[in-house]
Amino acid sequence: MSPAMSSRGKKVSVPDNLYTVILAVALCAVLATAGYVAFQCLTQYGAIFKIQ
Amino acid sequence: MSTLTKVLIVLLTIASIFLCGIVVTYVASADNYKEKYDSLFSRYQTAQDRKEDAEAQLNALKTRTDEEKLKLNGEISQRTQEVAALKANLTKIEIERDTALRKEGNWASITKDLTATNDNQRQLLENALDGQKKLNAELIKERRQLDDTTAALLEKGAIIAQLEGKLRSLIEDSTTLQNTLDKYLRQYGKAFVQPSPVTRVREAARVAPLVADIDLKGSLIAVNLKDLLAEISIGAADGVKEGMRFHTTRESAFVCDVVILEVEPEKAVGWIELLQEQPQNQPRAGDAVSTNL
Repeated sequence: MSPAMSSRGKKVSVPDNLYTVILAVALCAVLATAGYVAFQCLTQYGAIFKIQ
Repeated sequence: MSTLTKVLIVLLTIASIFLCGIVVTYVASADNYKEKYDSLFSRYQTAQDRKEDAEAQLNALKTRTDEEKLKLNGEISQRTQEVAALKANLTKIEIERDTALRKEGNWASITKDLTATNDNQRQLLENALDGQKKLNAELIKERRQLDDTTAALLEKGAIIAQLEGKLRSLIEDSTTLQNTLDKYLRQYGKAFVQPSPVTRVREAARVAPLVADIDLKGSLIAVNLKDLLAEISIGAADGVKEGMRFHTTRESAFVCDVVILEVEPEKAVGWIELLQEQPQNQPRAGDAVSTNL
């Protein structure tokens, strides 16, 4: 979204970086969740993907 | 960027965050199955060990129980034998008890009879004691009379002794007068004749003097059966006199009698009497002779 478009009187929209940030936040949440699950698996079972 | 893309981005983000929250919540609240497994496994091992220990104890207990059973069976058989022996003893003791009771009854009757006999004897004894008391009283009375009689007898004895002295002096006087009279009558060829009383004087009975055994013992020296004469080993030195009768014996059996005819100092000869007909009872040298049997 460039400033030229807002100057022609089109309606106000959220810049695209915001969605990038939102995607980044979502990715971080997913990564943090994956890491937490891996940590719990490692601490409880001693391995991440196999059962001893 | 299109609106749809934006909407999708927002929805994707919201869904991701929601899904991540659910996952985190689930993982955080999920059970630790490994820990539970380890705990259960350790408990299983412990239970297994306990089971083995219990089985070992059970086997030991069974073995001990079997041994105790065998031992108790032996003791039961022994006790059974003892019970049988005790029953036999009980039977024997019951028989002895019955016998003792029977004896007790017999002894009770005997005791009763003895008590009655004792009462009778006691009555007889009391009667005898009464009689003895009476006899003692009579004896005392008789003894007093005897004392009186003895005193009178002594007095009479003294009188008799005095009279005997007088009689002796009279006899001496009479003898003197008799001699004098004989002397005078002999000069004239006459003699004095003792006057005899017309009526016979009866004398009082007198007590005979005491007689003692001579008790001479000897043996036959020689025997003459043809002339019925025998010679004995004792003579006048031993006190043998003519007319004595010796009894001849052999082993405490009577053989004959020997009446002494002639006496010498160391031997004597006598006449055989009461000779027996059997040849084995004929007198022979060595037979014992004695004045008393």
